[in-house]
Amino acid sequence: MQGFETLFEQVEFILLAGLVLILAYLALEHEDIVYAAFFFGMMASVVAGFYLLLEAPFIAGMQIAVYTGGISALIIFGVLLLPRAQDSTLEVFPTSRAKRIGVLITSVVMILSGILALLFPWPESFVSENINLSQNLEELAKWLWGSHGIYVQMTALIILTALVGAVVIMKMEKAERLEPIKGEFGIEAETHPAYTETQEEEQ
Amino acid sequence: MIPLSWYLVLAFILIGLGVYGMMVKRNLIRVLIGAEIIGNGVTIALVALALYNSPFTFTGQGLTIIIIAIAAAHTALAMVLMLMYHRRYGTVDLGQPVRQEEITGV
Repeated sequence: MQGFETLFEQVEFILLAGLVLILAYLALEHEDIVYAAFFFGMMASVVAGFYLLLEAPFIAGMQIAVYTGGISALIIFGVLLLPRAQDSTLEVFPTSRAKRIGVLITSVVMILSGILALLFPWPESFVSENINLSQNLEELAKWLWGSHGIYVQMTALIILTALVGAVVIMKMEKAERLEPIKGEFGIEAETHPAYTETQEEEQ
Repeated sequence: MIPLSWYLVLAFILIGLGVYGMMVKRNLIRVLIGAEIIGNGVTIALVALALYNSPFTFTGQGLTIIIIAIAAAHTALAMVLMLMYHRRYGTVDLGQPVRQEEITGV
């Protein structure tokens, strides 16, 4: 019975791994960027299957919510917002030399990490009695908010800084067109002559 | 029981694919997808290593939660940078600034 369960898990793993690798390859190589974004979303949801195999159901849910629901949707919106993102001429690299260097570096990364994965004496199994699934989420919350709460707060600060930075970058171009703020109350800004001309042309 | 090395091989192949996407592609959106694939590979490796580690701790899962949260933020930031790039160069082609420099000298 134990042997059958192990075999079933291994077949499940191989099927999921094959699916993830094919979807990841298609996300990078499919000539239509819209399809590529959809393939990425599918890949992210199949990766959640590995977290279920690894006894981490909360991470699986989070993966689907954030990666499939958030990040891939954001990428699809990005494709729709950028008019020339779907240009198929972008899929051909101008020089084959640059492509060869890229493939070479990728191969080196994969070979070195493959050697590490296969030759290092990693443990073959884990003690499943140590992991109580019903306690899993509670213990995870205790780990995250109890003993490591400061890291969560630091992460929150990093994310806040990134998002404020994103808003500032978006506003920067408009700010560059304005002269230093003058006036009695310090709120009137004189528009740059070049900007006024473009506004008149638009009208 | 699935050996840990299987998970690590899968994770490293995903990381390699992501590196390939980031190194070889010209389209900025593909580069972003490559970065996200690297993130997925890293999180699989972390969760697997934490589970097979004895005694079991929640370090891997906790770090994975933090990585996923940061991934969402960095994608939003990358999108903004992509929009700015598109506004400046009119394309999402990574080679455009070099070509423009060759033509105009600026």
